[in-house]
Amino acid sequence: MSDVQKKTFVVTRFDPDRDQVPKTQSYEVPVEPDWKVLDALNFIKDHIDPTLSHRWSCRMAVCGSCGMLVNGEPKLTCKVALSSYGDTVEVAPLPNFPVIRDLVVELDGFMEKFEHVKPWIIRAKERAVEDGPMRQSPEELEEFKHFSMCINCMLCYAACPVVANEPEFLGPAAIALGHRYSLDSRDEGAGERNRIFRGEGTVFACSYANECSEVCPKNVDPAAAVNQAKLKAVIDWAAGLVLPRRAEE
Amino acid sequence: MTEVLRHDVVIVGGGAAGLRAAIAAVEADPGISVALVSKVYPMRSHTVSAEGGAAAVARDDDSFEMHGYDTVKGSDFLGDQDVIQYFVEQAPPELTRLEHWGCPWSRNADGTVATRAFGGMTTKRTWYAADKVGFHMLHTLFQHSMRFDRIVRYDEQFVTKLLVEDGAVRGVAALDIRQGEVRAILGRAVILATGGAGKCFPFTTNGNIKTGDGMALAYREGVALKDMEFVQYHPTGLPGTGILITEATRGEGGRLFNARGERFLETKPEYGVGSKLELGPRDMISRAIFQEIRAGNGIQGTFGEYVHLDLTHLGRELLEKRLPFVLELARTYAGVDPVTQPIPIRPVVHYMMGGVDTDIDGATELAGLYAVGECAAHSMNGANRLGSNSLTECLVFGARAGRHAVGHAKDSGDGSEDPLRRQVEEEAARIDGLRGRAKGSEKLTQVRDEMTQAMESGCGVYREQASMRSATETLAQLRRRCADVALEDRSRVFNTEIVAALELVNMIDVAETVAVAALQRRESRGAHACSEFPGRNDREFLHHSLVYYEPAGPRFDKKDVALGRWEPEERKY
Amino acid sequence: MPQHAHPEAMAPSKPGSTRTAPPLRPPQLPFAGRYRAYTLFGWTGLLYLLLGFLALRVVWALGDGKQAFDAVIASFEHPLYIAFHVLALVGVVFVGVRFFRLFPKAQPPRIGPVKPPPPAVILTALYAVWIGVTVVFAAILAGGIFA
Repeated sequence: MSDVQKKTFVVTRFDPDRDQVPKTQSYEVPVEPDWKVLDALNFIKDHIDPTLSHRWSCRMAVCGSCGMLVNGEPKLTCKVALSSYGDTVEVAPLPNFPVIRDLVVELDGFMEKFEHVKPWIIRAKERAVEDGPMRQSPEELEEFKHFSMCINCMLCYAACPVVANEPEFLGPAAIALGHRYSLDSRDEGAGERNRIFRGEGTVFACSYANECSEVCPKNVDPAAAVNQAKLKAVIDWAAGLVLPRRAEE
Repeated sequence: MTEVLRHDVVIVGGGAAGLRAAIAAVEADPGISVALVSKVYPMRSHTVSAEGGAAAVARDDDSFEMHGYDTVKGSDFLGDQDVIQYFVEQAPPELTRLEHWGCPWSRNADGTVATRAFGGMTTKRTWYAADKVGFHMLHTLFQHSMRFDRIVRYDEQFVTKLLVEDGAVRGVAALDIRQGEVRAILGRAVILATGGAGKCFPFTTNGNIKTGDGMALAYREGVALKDMEFVQYHPTGLPGTGILITEATRGEGGRLFNARGERFLETKPEYGVGSKLELGPRDMISRAIFQEIRAGNGIQGTFGEYVHLDLTHLGRELLEKRLPFVLELARTYAGVDPVTQPIPIRPVVHYMMGGVDTDIDGATELAGLYAVGECAAHSMNGANRLGSNSLTECLVFGARAGRHAVGHAKDSGDGSEDPLRRQVEEEAARIDGLRGRAKGSEKLTQVRDEMTQAMESGCGVYREQASMRSATETLAQLRRRCADVALEDRSRVFNTEIVAALELVNMIDVAETVAVAALQRRESRGAHACSEFPGRNDREFLHHSLVYYEPAGPRFDKKDVALGRWEPEERKY
Repeated sequence: MPQHAHPEAMAPSKPGSTRTAPPLRPPQLPFAGRYRAYTLFGWTGLLYLLLGFLALRVVWALGDGKQAFDAVIASFEHPLYIAFHVLALVGVVFVGVRFFRLFPKAQPPRIGPVKPPPPAVILTALYAVWIGVTVVFAAILAGGIFA
């Protein structure tokens, strides 16, 4: 044990069985120098207050469970070091989401948006397994690879000013995922997704605040995906006017 | 009134094995209705943390015979050879399917899928997507599964009991974590795909959710757990957190050094890895590191002693291209940059070779109950799993069990609902009784810590008779003390304390089977290294161990190993 | 500003099984942190609206003959108009720089077989065009060409 430092954690609490509105509760936590924010929350849960509810699992920044608002910024709590904060750390549930309890937010709204972009390979004719893997050059892989790195941690939704105002907006992660499949050389569903993207509350609702890319812990750059998808949807629409056959794709 | 939901097949667990089973089921019969029940949203499943790759024969210089032999030898001849034969033959088509579904496999310049070297494999047969293979496989499977309306997801529902009537499983009782109700999800077949139980140990690569739930569910219904003594230590985890640094680091050329700067796998032939060096199997390398540390050749750090994994000679370009996640993890969680500095590592609990006893179809001895993935032991991993075989295993046997479960579901009738409803009502009352059970005299975290400590001292890399015996005694006591744990959270909504308490019971049940099975195996084989019995003893112990649940305490039994193709021989590399 | 986001933000189509607390607005929205620049960016739209009205006024005056046109141009010498034009210039430069900064990554990786040039080339081209257009307009206004 090195020199014991204490920090105050101001944590948002909400239990729909008992509370009308969320409130905050403070905890004094002895912290270790190498701790992440999540370590402190787990210390509170294990040693101070077992009634605190939060989601977490892999603690290596890949399962996407532990996104929360830390001192006003959406963060993956397992990835962000406590040493980057002062003596008081405020932890709240992600904004722009209904709150189920304490630090746990409602994800089903996201799951619906996620499914809406058809995040799977669409092909006119499915390839038989006996025909083996498809060919894809490293360059073709490179075109969509970083958009496939999304861990669905929801930080981008928590940061997006459009999500805060327009409930219909599909949002950064879902659009980035749809765009990822449209860019995949093995996929033939871009036309279908472009029709979705031309609908109300989709890519054109984005005002390119770029906040999603600023907060993304995996450098997915969803803002790039959304704005590429805008252009792709427009080009697809224009091409459809000139070449009617293309519109059927 | 208890809510009763009906499906044909109920799958518990939404990781690679569960998702593959679900997809296989609806593909086998588009009319079938599948419930996919998970205690988390499926993309949080621990498959997500697998890094290095998935094995399947792909190159011209490779063959099923070679992959099969490597796997049998890796298993220290405790793998069932018919199962392994089926596995290696089905591996390439399964990984090809995943390719068709969009998995972003890394590629060679000609556009074919790239493969890399892995421990215990004679040639490059590990398919990879940089070093986030589990992540990409899980997300590909999950997203592909969304195509099928017949797969109905029940997210954040914690299965607490299998519903068994007339000698057959008929569904599950599931606690809705969000609203606190227990409901029945009925199906004529149930597939367990809940993963391993690494959280029984204090120092593990496993996420918080890996608490052996499926193993415990089956065990408590009288199904045997098989080969539980074999717990794989991954050689390279970060000290302190236990975060996994993939074997692909060594596949790409990483080297291990002790405090003296000695590449000990090369200088000390007694470690038995031969010319494979860092690409030896995991059990041997973990023991080598452990011995180095014991001999005083470790480097002292905040979290005990460690050795170095050196990647600096590989160059920034290769590391950024093939091992970007390792760079991120080492920088974020160990404060070192692998481009210029060696990574501190030590062996860490990673994988359970054992699990629910099943046949090659994933079927258990309880009619209608199947198990797949890490929570099952079809017996392809035997006493030691080769790295990159398990992701493929999830697909191969997930698919097979999914198809067989559909067949079973179509052949069996519904039976009466009333006794099942009664069972669920009893279960609901039991869980209601836990809520805010403040009277208890035990502390949940205290019991959990004592359990993990008992497992580390009794069932670690090296095991001694006395410490194993004391572990079994401690665990038996903890099982009783567990019933007296105080719970403070009275809320019905998202009560994670209740979930943790139920998980603790599961872990203790599973941990007990590990210790009991370990004590019975008076030899050293694969991951089970017994100090008093350092050699392998085929005459007495070439058999699987089975542990059955009895109210008075676990009952031990044995089962033959399926041999026939490759004769047991000394395991030398 | 309200503390809450839209009450339906990220809500599922069917209400959840338990009562939820309404979604909070990102606490720095609209005026703190990085949102300040984004909010100002949005508000520059007001400047363009006013600039548009001014341009219309000039065109209208043109229809009323040279005298009216000269009167309108002369009125722009009023200090308030000068202040407004300086503000508009700052706004346009701000929006331009922001737009240019974000433009390259919005390019699709390719359109059919055609790949866009690398970001540095796009950026250089954008600034070159901007400077070029500015020079041409300055020349026109100074009477250097089309005089």
